[in-house]
Amino acid sequence: MLIITRRPGEKIMIGDDVVVEVIEVNGSSVRIGIDAPKSIPVYREEIWDAVRAENRAAAESQVDLLPDDLPTRTTTSPQ
Amino acid sequence: MSMTSNNQGGGAGMAIKLQTSHFGEIQVSPEEIIEFPAGLIGLGGTRYVIVTRTPDAAFSWLQSMDDGELAIPVTDPWRFFDDFVVELADADADRVGIEDALDQAAIWVTVRAAAELDDFCANLRAPIVVVDGTGHQVINQASPAPVRAPLFSGLQEESTQAA
Repeated sequence: MLIITRRPGEKIMIGDDVVVEVIEVNGSSVRIGIDAPKSIPVYREEIWDAVRAENRAAAESQVDLLPDDLPTRTTTSPQ
Repeated sequence: MSMTSNNQGGGAGMAIKLQTSHFGEIQVSPEEIIEFPAGLIGLGGTRYVIVTRTPDAAFSWLQSMDDGELAIPVTDPWRFFDDFVVELADADADRVGIEDALDQAAIWVTVRAAAELDDFCANLRAPIVVVDGTGHQVINQASPAPVRAPLFSGLQEESTQAA
């Protein structure tokens, strides 16, 4: 991993298009600004990780566990 | 992956035959293909198609066009969660290409199927937004929007925990 020391207001370029700026350092937290092309999604890692895990778990679903006649909560017709 | 083109002769486009592990061979017309420029989070492939087995089925499948073995069950979130709301951060709204009106978009949520109905859940945190044949999996800023919202377990316990 590349490790770089930066002060507030200083930036890092990732390629030509992604700019990461240290905005503020306050105790143990750091505010970071990220300027990236809109085609590149930016995620907090823990959210990205949780969604990736859930996507992978969903992809393990078997067809026979999802019969088309499962009830849905909004069904109003009598069973 | 096994995919061959097949000229249907006289049709609007060439139907594509796709060999899938879940549904056998399916025929996909090019206009049904949804492009995901950034893919799905953590999963490969940038082209998917919605497979719905019966017209009013509760669940459809987001089938990868690039990997016949990759398919993810999805559902219409409002079918299960009346009060479901999608709020996008500016960057996501920009990426999806809509400002605040999501009404021209199709919204799906991924579903994790399980042996017990009680263990079925939907990911309300990362819905899939489809606009004009282009899809994005976005982070829902609304709260609560759990990654695992139970689909069928008791009405009183639903959607209480944010991820």
